[in-house]
Amino acid sequence: MSVFMDLNVLFSPDRNRLQGVIETAAHLGFSTVAINYVFEPSSKKKQEVPVPCPISELIDQLPVVQGRSRPIRVLNRLTVLMSDSSHFRPSAPEYRRFDLLAVQPTTEKLFHAACMLYDVDIVCISVTEKLPFIFKRAPINGAVERGVVFEVSYSAAIRDATMRRYTIANAVCLMDSCKGKNVILSSAAEKALELRGPYDVTNLGLLFGLSDGDAKEAVSSTCRAVLLHAGNKYYSTSTASTTGSTAMSTTAIVMMMKEDEGQPSAKRCSGRPSGPSGPPHLRPPSSV
Amino acid sequence: MVRVKSRYLLCEINVSDKRQLLLLDDRAVATTVKAAVARTHGDYGLALCTIRFSVKYLNTHTGIVLLRFPKKCYKLLWSALPFITSITTRGQNIPCFLNCLHVGGTIRTCQKFLIRYNTQQLHRMLPKCKNEEEKQQIRESLMDCYLEGGTKEALEGESESEEDEEE
Repeated sequence: MSVFMDLNVLFSPDRNRLQGVIETAAHLGFSTVAINYVFEPSSKKKQEVPVPCPISELIDQLPVVQGRSRPIRVLNRLTVLMSDSSHFRPSAPEYRRFDLLAVQPTTEKLFHAACMLYDVDIVCISVTEKLPFIFKRAPINGAVERGVVFEVSYSAAIRDATMRRYTIANAVCLMDSCKGKNVILSSAAEKALELRGPYDVTNLGLLFGLSDGDAKEAVSSTCRAVLLHAGNKYYSTSTASTTGSTAMSTTAIVMMMKEDEGQPSAKRCSGRPSGPSGPPHLRPPSSV
Repeated sequence: MVRVKSRYLLCEINVSDKRQLLLLDDRAVATTVKAAVARTHGDYGLALCTIRFSVKYLNTHTGIVLLRFPKKCYKLLWSALPFITSITTRGQNIPCFLNCLHVGGTIRTCQKFLIRYNTQQLHRMLPKCKNEEEKQQIRESLMDCYLEGGTKEALEGESESEEDEEE
């Protein structure tokens, strides 16, 4: 049984709506969901990067995933809409509070920089407008080597017919250049009715030009690879103990992998912190 | 050419308001699916839809619907289902979405899956029920998963025995 994830659920200040979306996602069979805070910096006004709401405030009891015995896992994610290279500061401490970091470039140069240089996990492909630039093989291959994935959201296609054309056109363009690897499909759902089940999303992947195996991977194993890549990033760059309860350490990564395989992870967690031989900067993970 | 093969798609209709489910009927679902296929795949899709497409089973209490497609093109027609945003019946527009649970080659395999799925749902929903009346209603609506035909008694027997087990 593979693990399905939906890594893009738009954050809305309405708590009930968000709760409804998470419950629907658990009912459909997604075992992990990431709440997306979209941040659009403009050069005129100095804007603050949004602070993620702690999960325990948003929803009291995490619903159990359909077909499994574990509650759904909710992560935080930040998407930065970039139209200028000064918008994204590579290692800002505010970015540490989020589990996943995504970037949506709007020009060719920014796309190249995001794929090769920037320390992000996900590069979003815009679906609401005609592609402003053509994808070149070089940055895409570089991104594939580094472990950065490309994301296509499908809820714009569900809402409106013109958006549907743009989504399919942009997605097909991307698949041409990247040969179907390192792609994830996710909804940018604002309401519970905009989510779709994992097998339906796999089928949408076929429409976008992915092959059968690639489409299923786009919803399951590639998403998992993104989470591991994100966890790796914090571990390798942190030397002092990290602040913020959502930072992932290697123990958390191993815990995640054990969770996905359905084995109890309590043993692993309790053995770690009390031993004197453990590295000092690894802390026991909080509820992930 | 020995046997004509079809694919049966078991879907669940998710609505935000459970009472609106009761207004559905199979002709409305069929027209919605055809309209969605026409919007997504145009005349070609609509032509494919007329060959062997029908709604075989609809349960308004749980929102389960069984659709039949020809085997050659079921993936194409399946890819139009995520674009359904609402179903129009009797003048009312019900916002909903279809979630595909299982693809089977025969109705019998889909029924077997449906029984397993319904027992899982029972396990999930019964602890939340507040009084005995709701429990009885849910049990009755879930046991309604049979079609007219020879498999009726076998199915009722199966689902009843499963009910007894978990009781």
